Amino acid sequence: MFETIKKLAGSFGVSGSEEQIREVIKNEIDGKVDEIKVDALGNLIAVKKGSGKKIMVAAHMDEIGVMATYIDEKGFIRFSNVGWVWQYFALGQRVMFKNGTAGAVFYEQKLKEIKDLKLSNMYIDIGAKSREETEKKVKIGDTACFVGDTVLAGNMVMSKALDDRGGCAVLVKTIQEMPDTDNEIYFVFTVQEELGLRGAKTSAFGIMPDIAIAIDVTDTGDTPECELMEVKCGGGPAIKIKDRSFIAHPEVRRLIENSAKEIGIPYQFEIMEQGGTDAGAIHVTGGGVPSGVISIPCRYVHSPVEMADITDIENCVKLLRQCLKGY
Amino acid sequence: MKNMKTPDILKDLTCSIAVSGHEELLARRLKEIFMEFCEEVWIDKFYNVVGKMTASADENGYIDGRKMKVLVMAHMDEIGLMVKSIDEKGFIRITSVGGVDPKILPAHEVIIHGTRDIPGIIGAKPPHLLKPAEANKSIKIEDLAVDTGICAEELKKVVSIGDLITLDFEFTELKNGKFSAKTVDNRSGVTALIEIMKELTGIKHGADVYFVASTQEETHLTGAIISSYAIEPDVAIVIDACHGNMPDTSKEETYALGKGPAVGIGPVLDRKMSQTVINVAKDENIPYQIDVEPSDTGTEAWATQVSRAGIPTVLLSIPVRYMHTAVETVHVDDIKNTGRLAARFIARLTRNMEVI
Repeated sequence: MFETIKKLAGSFGVSGSEEQIREVIKNEIDGKVDEIKVDALGNLIAVKKGSGKKIMVAAHMDEIGVMATYIDEKGFIRFSNVGWVWQYFALGQRVMFKNGTAGAVFYEQKLKEIKDLKLSNMYIDIGAKSREETEKKVKIGDTACFVGDTVLAGNMVMSKALDDRGGCAVLVKTIQEMPDTDNEIYFVFTVQEELGLRGAKTSAFGIMPDIAIAIDVTDTGDTPECELMEVKCGGGPAIKIKDRSFIAHPEVRRLIENSAKEIGIPYQFEIMEQGGTDAGAIHVTGGGVPSGVISIPCRYVHSPVEMADITDIENCVKLLRQCLKGY
Repeated sequence: MKNMKTPDILKDLTCSIAVSGHEELLARRLKEIFMEFCEEVWIDKFYNVVGKMTASADENGYIDGRKMKVLVMAHMDEIGLMVKSIDEKGFIRITSVGGVDPKILPAHEVIIHGTRDIPGIIGAKPPHLLKPAEANKSIKIEDLAVDTGICAEELKKVVSIGDLITLDFEFTELKNGKFSAKTVDNRSGVTALIEIMKELTGIKHGADVYFVASTQEETHLTGAIISSYAIEPDVAIVIDACHGNMPDTSKEETYALGKGPAVGIGPVLDRKMSQTVINVAKDENIPYQIDVEPSDTGTEAWATQVSRAGIPTVLLSIPVRYMHTAVETVHVDDIKNTGRLAARFIARLTRNMEVI
């Protein structure tokens, strides 16, 4: 599991530039499904044919990042966020453009109060001496991801982009040991989730499944002096009750809960008061797709040091497999 | 239901619990009621209840060689609370489903819908214990806790994260045709749907009418998005609550109780159809008010108008005082007149989207 996560989380795939991560995933699942296709927006759809129910399983392959918006005469790059980037998380981080160019994210030192820090008074330094030199490597409109190696810390994996390469890893592992079922399963690695669940919307419309399950990370309430939330790393997969984007469909929620009971793994219920997931877009597709979410409890979401428990992620695979067989 | 008086229908509906995303029970009750009037009734995957009344006269009701479809929608869901956490002493921390104002919650009696219903109260810190800085502070939902008297260990056997909590209330008849209860927003609208059915049973109409008691309006307009896509109507009539006038509110934001439904006018509504509704009200001597909506109406009209290739949408609003509390107050005549106006409009609507 760790090796798979490392491979996926380490790949480049800022929202709207998912080419590299898509190829990596494609190689991992090649030959394990009946059909692999890429839709107009760039969603990677792997189909296991069957005569039963149509189930869509979604994990987003895009990650948050930054986009170059202006290059000054000294070669410094001004940038904007792609997805939700908190300026305090970005400060002092290293970013990497798709072509491998590394950059340091820093801020204008004349800034008096750190609370006034905004992305607009920050810049990326790629070590170039002039606009011309920068432009040889980075053009405006290019995107960069944050750098955060994938390492083990106890039973936890720490990395950038566990949101949602952790979910992608769950799908890849499920595909590699495909559950024995007649159901027709659409494994969708979606694009642009971080921009507003956009890949999920088009892929769900193209598939029109009977039900959908999204796999994504959720916040936790198990760190010092944090907001109250009854989700813990190591407590097992979290079954979503609601978030900002939707209320989980009772039928799918029950399917997930009953599946967890059947295989005897720990699970917890999740109410996430900020943020949403692909399921929020999928469930209002066409005449409606009952949807639910299996969440990976994850600390420090949208930072380069996201942390999740490996056993939780492994249990997500077991749980998803049981849901696909049991529906 | 056919012979039930309007307040009795309202009472019947307000006593069912249907917090957004958990409307199964009320959906089943509404299916029974709709079946008294409609040829076909079904509950969709998201618990929207759809009742179809087939056209009774077809000479005016055809568009492009097919029968015209009118969608009449009122949401049946209600705002509510949800268990977020149970602390070691058995106090329940809560979160909201839909737009709950935390300042109305302290000292409220509630019901926790666990594996069985449990009574509880939302506590409030006594004035004696408030620090000066706290006294003027607004109340946040995370500051509140539900007390059931049960210890954590016992409570966790019947209550889990995600269980619903609703405000306890009584259906109260006030003077002069006014009634107060929880969920008058929008069980008044659902009651109006039934009033329309009653009216249409006695008069000819050229269109197939699809009545939808929709779900999850208070959270994401989910039911409206799904059912307007599935039904693909030619016209949509959305029925919801608007603010009734009350002390210390501005005239342009509130509407009088007992003076008829408010007909919405604005860019997200169909101007021609809205004017047609007003003309029908004048012809038929039905009282009405004008509700000017420069942008989002805060209703399902937002979703129906842009469903598929677009649906001309009309909004009829029933004035309700004290919205999103357990004492929402409505005048019964406004519900009846909403029913009459919508029914006459539907009956007179022709294939050219005009009225005869």
